[in-house]
Amino acid sequence: MKRFAFTVLAGAISAGMLFASPNTAAAQSKAPPGGAYQPVSKLVPLPDFLPGLGTLYVDPASLPAGPFLAYDHQGKLVSSIYMIPISDMDAHKNFSDLKIAHERVDHVDIVFNAGHPGVAVPHYHVIVWYVSQADAAKLAK
Amino acid sequence: MTVQSRREFLKVSGLALVGLGFVPSRRARAAAVEVIEMRSDALGSRVWFDPAGLLVEPGTIVRWIVRENVHTTTAYHPRNDHHPLRIPEHAVPWDSGFLVNPGDYFDVTLTVPGVYDYYCMPHEAAGMVGRIIVGKPRGPGTEPFDYWAGRAGTEEWRHVPDAARKSFPSIARILAEHRVHLTGPGM
Repeated sequence: MKRFAFTVLAGAISAGMLFASPNTAAAQSKAPPGGAYQPVSKLVPLPDFLPGLGTLYVDPASLPAGPFLAYDHQGKLVSSIYMIPISDMDAHKNFSDLKIAHERVDHVDIVFNAGHPGVAVPHYHVIVWYVSQADAAKLAK
Repeated sequence: MTVQSRREFLKVSGLALVGLGFVPSRRARAAAVEVIEMRSDALGSRVWFDPAGLLVEPGTIVRWIVRENVHTTTAYHPRNDHHPLRIPEHAVPWDSGFLVNPGDYFDVTLTVPGVYDYYCMPHEAAGMVGRIIVGKPRGPGTEPFDYWAGRAGTEEWRHVPDAARKSFPSIARILAEHRVHLTGPGM
């Protein structure tokens, strides 16, 4: 079932990559992304910079799935993150037409998270990285 | 019971025991302080209180301090988002709110004897809970998790999540060990 949910999610990501607007992509490549995106730290009590992820922005209307756009210390877009509650997976909920940044994908991490303000239930982070694993590791601090 | 929250650097300034309704008397400054760390692995996949079980004497100041991630310490009490009553009936419930930065801490002085169950708001469903026994085990915290079901006035109370039920150290173990540190595959 979880594998199915991730398959659906991967399909949505691929479809989003095909139709992403170049203008929107350019606006999102550097922080702040603008539009409906807001700093996560202004929406919920979280630090501005989350070790391991970066500085996050999200369109509140897209919660909880996202995408959350993550930027490094220099304001460069490093990943899009989708947050999928375990309870939604257990309920066989589908997620479709999720937005995606128009960037070359380097790799994807799927990481369990016990919860945090904003998504206060156990969930998975599906992290679509636009930087190498080495550059992603630089976000540890 | 009194509560107080400050950044850790204040701990060394002598202000750390000053809190809401807390008068920093000589007696208060001499009170014992027990520290409970609020932990997480780097990915946020594993979260826990350490120790998860604690035995203290009445009047002890309990300090929860963030080491990693974002946490709360919140008493099981209907005033806290309709959670069931699992602290002594005459004790004052606490809720630290979100403690965001490493070193942030929150103090509570526990004076009423009994069992105090508490949870971390964003991590309760993942099983991040703790139990403190003040003096002798008594009160609602000694009852089964669903002791209140069917009683008038409890219609809006929320059941303790399964993962949390499995994480509480037993009263017997806390009495035997005084400080219970969780270990095992989930920890």
